[in-house]
Amino acid sequence: MGDPGKTPTLPVQGNASARAPHLKDGDPAFLTTRMDALLDAARKNSLWPFPFGTACCAIEFMSFMMSHYDISRFGAEVVRFSPRQSDLLIVAGTVTDKMAPVMVRIYEQMAEPKYVISMGVCACTGGFYRAYHVVQGIDEFIPVDVYVPGCPPTPEALLQGVVKLQEMIARGETHYQRALAAARAAGR
Amino acid sequence: MGDRDERMAAIRKAFPAGSVDEVPGGDMPTLRVDRRVLPELARLLKTDPALDCKLLLDVCGADYPGRAERFEVVYHLASLQHPFRLRLKVPVPEADPVVPSVFGVWKAADWFEREAFDMFGIRFEGHPNLKRILCHRAFQGHALRKDYDAGQRWLLREAEQELPSWATERVEDGDHFETQVLNLGPSHPATHGTLRTVVRLDGELITKAEVEIGYLHRCFEKMAESHTWNQVIPYTDRLNYCSAMMNGVGYALAVEKMLGVEAPPRAQTIRLILSELSRIMDHIVDIGANLNDLGAMTPFLYMYEAREEIYSLLEACCGSRLTMSYVRIGGLSHDVPHDFADSVRYLLRRIPKLIGDMETLITNNRIFRDRTEGVGKLSAEEAVDWGWTGPCLRSTGVAYDVRKAYPYLGYETYDFKVPVSHGGDTYARYLVRVEEMKQSLALVEQALARLEAGPVILDNHNVALPPKAEVYTEMESLIWHFKLIMEGMKVPAGDGYGFTEAANGELGYYIVSDGGGKPYRIKVRPPCFAIFQAYPHMIEDHMVADAVAILGSLNVIAGELDR
Amino acid sequence: MKSDDVVVCDPRPLTLTQRFYLVEVVKGLAVTLRHFLGNLFARKYTVTVEWPEVKREYSERLRGRHILLAKPDGSPRCVACYMCEEACPAQCIHIEAEDDPTSPSIEYEKRPKVFTIDLLRCVYCGFCVDACPKEAIVMSRTHEMAFGAREEAIVGLDELMQKGPYEQLDLGYRPYFGAPRSKIELPIPVKAR
Repeated sequence: MGDPGKTPTLPVQGNASARAPHLKDGDPAFLTTRMDALLDAARKNSLWPFPFGTACCAIEFMSFMMSHYDISRFGAEVVRFSPRQSDLLIVAGTVTDKMAPVMVRIYEQMAEPKYVISMGVCACTGGFYRAYHVVQGIDEFIPVDVYVPGCPPTPEALLQGVVKLQEMIARGETHYQRALAAARAAGR
Repeated sequence: MGDRDERMAAIRKAFPAGSVDEVPGGDMPTLRVDRRVLPELARLLKTDPALDCKLLLDVCGADYPGRAERFEVVYHLASLQHPFRLRLKVPVPEADPVVPSVFGVWKAADWFEREAFDMFGIRFEGHPNLKRILCHRAFQGHALRKDYDAGQRWLLREAEQELPSWATERVEDGDHFETQVLNLGPSHPATHGTLRTVVRLDGELITKAEVEIGYLHRCFEKMAESHTWNQVIPYTDRLNYCSAMMNGVGYALAVEKMLGVEAPPRAQTIRLILSELSRIMDHIVDIGANLNDLGAMTPFLYMYEAREEIYSLLEACCGSRLTMSYVRIGGLSHDVPHDFADSVRYLLRRIPKLIGDMETLITNNRIFRDRTEGVGKLSAEEAVDWGWTGPCLRSTGVAYDVRKAYPYLGYETYDFKVPVSHGGDTYARYLVRVEEMKQSLALVEQALARLEAGPVILDNHNVALPPKAEVYTEMESLIWHFKLIMEGMKVPAGDGYGFTEAANGELGYYIVSDGGGKPYRIKVRPPCFAIFQAYPHMIEDHMVADAVAILGSLNVIAGELDR
Repeated sequence: MKSDDVVVCDPRPLTLTQRFYLVEVVKGLAVTLRHFLGNLFARKYTVTVEWPEVKREYSERLRGRHILLAKPDGSPRCVACYMCEEACPAQCIHIEAEDDPTSPSIEYEKRPKVFTIDLLRCVYCGFCVDACPKEAIVMSRTHEMAFGAREEAIVGLDELMQKGPYEQLDLGYRPYFGAPRSKIELPIPVKAR
């Protein structure tokens, strides 16, 4: 990887068809478009989070996993500590300049499609740490789909974030899907 | 104070005139020491049985740009035999910022000296591994110097990350041909927070290890210098975020000591109740996460129910589940709700059941005992030498607890016992924590019986905000309100060290005030900073799986470790 | 420290049955089975909050999203005194003042032209509420928020101003005049939608 300040770009996927609105019935791309929708439905209901827990938010992330809030009701309970096996990066807590290259590396290692939730104000903007060692928002380094405010957010707020992400996936609005669509459109 | 004078006279007599001077006043005996005699003085303090300063609590730097000798290194020492504490101040000129290292006398100085080097650029001569500890390698300058801009960041490239020099050496020979260097962390399921351990493995045995911290260095101390005394409280909550209340209480007590005020009795009792409940919460997370790493998920699920219900109580008191911001200097922000006592009684009934369930599953479980007994064993002498405090120290057989030795919040009037175990291993630490939870419940029960009606914050307009009803109606209160918000309270110039028994051990705040509305310097003495520096030495000759068990049992909280 | 202040909790040697392990397994299974069967038939130990259909009931002190309260005529109570901006440790509040030409008395002579809060900077410590001398800014119990972009989270006067009557607001952390109004109920209370 190169400059940590640079946003990593998504690779263009070969000749897969674009989700273009002008397709007519009978177009062979129709099948793959429907296929994408089906896959998105599957993906949104089985997110595999990678808990990039660094600070206080990681403790609230535990609450979010435990019996009271039980994220498995939303199909996202399979917490994986290997980026290769997960598709949702939940950055929970303050990211410092020392930690930022690690976060970027993990993001790059994650299998596609991948989504990012930034949990808590430290990850979103740096919060009240306007300081010499704190990243002022992880979107300096990686694209973020959902920002969840709170210091730390209540587990309900994080659940809300996950639900919002699921809606975004269904509508094709996440950074990954938009980049993919743009790449496909350009490839035509 | 006869003892104090005798001791100070004995110390002064042993050194040439002018090299060791007593600083009058202050909250504890203080010596101004010439750096040339520091190693000799350190040895005397440690070995003289009348002084017995075996515990080095803290080493920190301070920057006074106006002075002839710009920097000052401050040491805090304590004796475990006598009720005696000592502060050493060593002035250091900017042109030649070198101080002899005391690592040879107290191992505890290891990381504390590295931190002072990182933050102030003071070099410690004779330190075996003097390099940056909290800031990253690409960082330039020294962050806590007064002329360093708080917002000046430096970007770190991935290729520039720290790797110990020994990691690239080749050590294989005929008998040891399977060595490899492995990174545990900084993002690893078994590191609670962000810690990185670089280990060299021979087969599965760890032969050498080094820890890299600072991945959560959030610049608490720099931020505190640019906020008013009360505005620091939300920052303290995020030190040990598993038990946020206790950090705030420790900070408020330290500042109150400097102001010479004391919170009203009701506030003290509420602080005690919530602190002890926070201690339980902290131990729940520690034991639960430790068990989770060892493969026992169920106890964590059960114990977390207790934690959620304590959360509910805390949230009803102050409005936030985790980062409470409930304490104010001079008391509390609000009174507790009217059904506070009933809820605490409910918790007193509920928590023992959950602890019981966990104990049935774990305490005499042979698998757990085989995994933890004799693992990560540390002797009492070594633990004191490394500067350990809290449950980890007590698990080695040293009965030292700030609540008993230097009571605050009226702990001396409560009937509770300090759990001690003699194993010094991971299992002993588990046992001590379980027993501490039970003692905390007993404390809460007693404190609840004593909860009297009364104010929860001082009626002192130099310290505490006036009641809202008066602010809306009276001009004078409104003016005080304005002054306190705009300028902050004025803490008398000087320095003080306030210390409390937090969940991990002695949490100290060394505070310097210049008489203004903002702290001049706050140094936190985080308990797990001292505990964690022994970790790389503890895991040598252990398996990787044991390293995970040891790490969990030390309860390292990154927020407090890196600040 | 006196010896009677200390309770020694050294490990007890394992008894034969404990070493044998099987009895202990059964004991442990009894605990988990009790929880399992209790939940299966009576939902005795079930603590899960069925969010979003059922919500956990937070106290009236919850520090959520801010509300700017209004005077009876609908204009903000805020007099742009900058106290909250000053008290905020995160510096997330931004105020620009202007003269209020409609002010009937000298009591409200300024009003905020711009009042923004960056909800993604705010640490929800409640210091702004403590600092306000006019009870103009309070906090609500709205804490379930998620944003798709950082700009969405910077809310201005329009979003912050109180909508609807005072009693219908889901008020959270705010100054207390007399007795505290929040209550704690344990086990954790929930409310169904």
